[in-house]
Amino acid sequence: MFEQAISAMASVIVDPYLLGLIFATTILGVIIGVLPGLGATTGAALLLPFTLTMDPVHAIAVLATIYVSATFAGSITAILINTPGTSAAAATTFDGYPLAQKGEAGRALGIAVISSTVGGIFSVLILCFAAPLLARVAYEFRSPEYFALTVFGLSMLASISAGGAVKNLIGGIFGVWLSTIGAERVTGIERFMFGNYELYEGLHFVPIFIGLFAISELLVQSKTVDKIIKTVSMKAVKLPTLEDYKKIWKTILRSCGIGTFIGVLPAEGATVASMIGYSEARRWSKNKKEFGKGSIEGIAGAEAANNAATGGAMVPTMVLGIPGSGTTAIILVGLMVHGLRPGVYLFTEQVEKVYQIFGSMFVANVMFMLMGLYAAKLFARVSLVPTQILWPIVFALSVIGAYAFQGQLLDVWLALIFGVIGFFARRHGFSVAPIAVGLILGEMVETNLQHSLKMFDGAWWMILTQPLALMFLVFAFLGLCGPMIFSWITKQKD
Amino acid sequence: MKNIYIVPLILTIFSLAVIAIAFQLDTSPEMIVGDSMQARSFPIFLMILKLILIGILTFQFYKNNPKPVALEKYHTWGSMFLFLLFYLLTVYTDMFIGIFVVIFLMSILWGEKRIWVAFLTATITPGLVFMLFDFVLKIRFPRGILMNLYYG
Repeated sequence: MFEQAISAMASVIVDPYLLGLIFATTILGVIIGVLPGLGATTGAALLLPFTLTMDPVHAIAVLATIYVSATFAGSITAILINTPGTSAAAATTFDGYPLAQKGEAGRALGIAVISSTVGGIFSVLILCFAAPLLARVAYEFRSPEYFALTVFGLSMLASISAGGAVKNLIGGIFGVWLSTIGAERVTGIERFMFGNYELYEGLHFVPIFIGLFAISELLVQSKTVDKIIKTVSMKAVKLPTLEDYKKIWKTILRSCGIGTFIGVLPAEGATVASMIGYSEARRWSKNKKEFGKGSIEGIAGAEAANNAATGGAMVPTMVLGIPGSGTTAIILVGLMVHGLRPGVYLFTEQVEKVYQIFGSMFVANVMFMLMGLYAAKLFARVSLVPTQILWPIVFALSVIGAYAFQGQLLDVWLALIFGVIGFFARRHGFSVAPIAVGLILGEMVETNLQHSLKMFDGAWWMILTQPLALMFLVFAFLGLCGPMIFSWITKQKD
Repeated sequence: MKNIYIVPLILTIFSLAVIAIAFQLDTSPEMIVGDSMQARSFPIFLMILKLILIGILTFQFYKNNPKPVALEKYHTWGSMFLFLLFYLLTVYTDMFIGIFVVIFLMSILWGEKRIWVAFLTATITPGLVFMLFDFVLKIRFPRGILMNLYYG
């Protein structure tokens, strides 16, 4: 197994086509990351249709590369123009931009590049070891355990990205309901199709995701057309000095651990990881006063954590089929579209492909480091592309991408409709990521509930007699009610 | 009624509508469903959960009194109108005519003052994307005025 894994990972380096693909996608990912508003999720949603005709490993490698490179690239604009390219880079603005204003933009970018690379590589290594172990545990899972696990995953939506817990859960339930559209899988009864037989097999993820992430973002960006962007001048990207390394190595290591752990938790992602990474860097720092004024520890803490979360988030996605974020939800759809069933079978029957994907992520981390060090200035100029040019192009890519998935116009209309729904949801404080995750988990939760009921002759409470299922349901309960109970206890004590 | 309650109201109406439609769904014979559940049960269960959450959300709004969301700018409404125009143009003329017109008008609407830049963006983008999908990915586009000329 170990030898097989190593040789599969190494095969990435000797596959010139795959290497070229990762190189091109890294450039694209960095461009997507530096363009404010686009980000890893929108980029992956737009690229998904382009990967349909690719070999499964190449397709997932493309999506995973976009994920890691765009997550890193968000820091370039965060440092140079005080606008995080992705939400995961928001914490980088706290110290990155002040440092750039002091005339040390190159140093700030150097710290961000090195921290991101270490974080990304660390999490890929953890992914290589943790994923097969978790897959072995998942081998014991039957329908009640999977049902409880998906309920746990859905409960974690409460804390996904922006929006309050209640709003996120409403979004998640809406997503699960969307998964019930079409013919019911056991009885074949048509649900909410209104005579439209193109919906017989249900809503397909690709057009819905393009709508929720790309089209809705287009409408959000339409409100920012008057915004003027000011860029900071930069001579060259400097590598951190030995003195800098001495100052930040502990912070980087700590943030690697934090980021990977946060990423592994279902529905938590790089944004949460970077915020915690940053605040922990500040808590443990001897120079707390420097934070907010250009601390290199602050940049390292946030950047190592957000890139470490990318590898972490791939663990539940590939092992359990539970996406950790909007981007991993799209990668999960990519896996499904290409016939790679996430779960234990992926790690027993398609080990080689899995490790080639991991190897691709590893290579992508090295490539974005080189690009970050040698071409950050060039990429930063991309962020100055006017919105009135960029977003109409995104519109064209979105509608053609939605059509290309199945070759039917209904998908284009669905993408536009869900774009408008997603926009109004976001305007009213609802995040669209829970809708996407709910849509993916919906089928899993319903099917496993049906199977569990059959197993126990309709006695649903028997699910609670299964130790692992009970454990997940307790976690789900604690995830939902824990904060409320904790604050109530604290109030009582006070 | 305050503006902030419009969202819970819309969500409630939607949930009740789903429940009402779900009750109209067919039922399966006992021998197929067995001890499992009818096709309508799961969506109804979801909507009941959603109604409970909407109740909590409304209570939160009542307690916290959040600021009402401001109306969108004309750029946003204009963009949505362009989606509608795209639909009409695609159905009655050709998808690529729709894309060209929408990109051109969207650029102008969003503040592009140089007509030639908007025109070039509207021409080059769909052209490149078409070439990529047609030549590389071998995807056929829906027939229309332009596609009929191309496919023959």
